[in-house]
Amino acid sequence: MSAEVEEMLKRFQNFKNIVGIMVIDNDGIPIKTTMEYNLTLHYAAVMQTLREKAQQVVLDLDATNEFTFLRLRTLRHEVLLCPEVDYFIVVLQLPCD
Amino acid sequence: MNRILEEVIHRNAPIVDRIIAEHTAGYVVADNMANAVAETSFDNTSAQALVKHLNGTLVPACQSVVRDLDPTNQLTYMRVATRKFEYLVAPEEYFTITVVQ
Repeated sequence: MSAEVEEMLKRFQNFKNIVGIMVIDNDGIPIKTTMEYNLTLHYAAVMQTLREKAQQVVLDLDATNEFTFLRLRTLRHEVLLCPEVDYFIVVLQLPCD
Repeated sequence: MNRILEEVIHRNAPIVDRIIAEHTAGYVVADNMANAVAETSFDNTSAQALVKHLNGTLVPACQSVVRDLDPTNQLTYMRVATRKFEYLVAPEEYFTITVVQ
């Protein structure tokens, strides 16, 4: 399983637009990352709170709905947050346009 | 502030029509100063609930996250995907546009 994950990470890393990929545990501990460690820790902490907030907001708006994905676009990059059951993935990429 | 908003809304009416013609479920334009709904295609109560939740909590949280990571950076656009809909949120200086599709 771990080989598949590595393979996938390598595949995505080769896209020109991608700055970094991080896989973070539900407790905010980075499991796998392609970026520098301190930055990853920072992102992990901050994205974890954001993920919980977004989940709360979606549940508040409609209790039957579920938060599946978050995309933040900023001046410098685009951050994609993909929550899964036991972990969540954060991808940093350069904005397409 | 409201007058400026109304002007902008009038000027963008054809764009709004185009957006509505696509897969959209609706839109909400909210005024940032008062966190109030300026214009919406939904009924008023759900629009207000949407604005209060999204604009009131999630957008400022995301903005602070972005500034926390890099003080020179700024949130320009946000997309929240859920199972049923996708919320496209564009916070501007004076107002925030949210499109649900």
